[in-house]
Amino acid sequence: MFAIEFGENGDILCSGRLDAAECAKAQDFMDSVSGSSVLDFAQLEYISSAGLGILLKTQKRLVSAGEGLKIINVNNHIHDVFRYSGFHSIFEIETQ
Amino acid sequence: MAGMHHKLTILRSYWRGAHADDTQSMQKKFTRSFDSLGAIYEFTEDVLTSGDVQDAARFPVHLAMEELFTNMVKYCPGNDNEILLDVTTNDGDVSVVITDYDVDPFDVTTPRDVDTETPLGRRIPGGLGLHLVQHMVDSLEYDYHDRQSTVRFTKESG
Repeated sequence: MFAIEFGENGDILCSGRLDAAECAKAQDFMDSVSGSSVLDFAQLEYISSAGLGILLKTQKRLVSAGEGLKIINVNNHIHDVFRYSGFHSIFEIETQ
Repeated sequence: MAGMHHKLTILRSYWRGAHADDTQSMQKKFTRSFDSLGAIYEFTEDVLTSGDVQDAARFPVHLAMEELFTNMVKYCPGNDNEILLDVTTNDGDVSVVITDYDVDPFDVTTPRDVDTETPLGRRIPGGLGLHLVQHMVDSLEYDYHDRQSTVRFTKESG
């Protein structure tokens, strides 16, 4: 089960498992994001390449407008996925 | 190609035979759809829990399972055949065999042309799935014969 919502401080809170079956929900939400934002992955257990595609697409759109995403509280497994994908050079990432 | 199939058979015989007392194994067929991913996760998690597989190995197994399964769904959408998953654990190590029937060949062991140093402006979403699998599992094998694709991967606990 995957969930995505704005937290009280304005950060985007993700939780659960972001697999290919949940991408439409994530994409719809991220398409509504218009400014620089923080994605809080403290409760996100899992992400696959389908989720990476959404992050990449959103970052390209925001950076072209002078904005961008910062991803915080990334667990070790997702951090490995980011590392193998070369995401450190295109996102600001903080681990847990 | 016949040689690859023979090698795969030998490996599976060794895995199941040498440590039979510690082995947990389950097979199940799943509908060719992204909607199967939740059930695949539950099925795999049940086997990993029964086999007392450590957390460090679970994430890569689930990731490889999803990427390989969705790859089969994406590249053969008109096929109604179910996809067979076979998950085996032995002393914390995991072996998975995924079998797809009546399909064209797609060798998932072929290195992917993914440049992870490409600047954001030239990055194209997609293509990372098999790249991740190839880096995060300990072995990956592909066999094709009689229009049947078989993918086997392993992940050790250490």
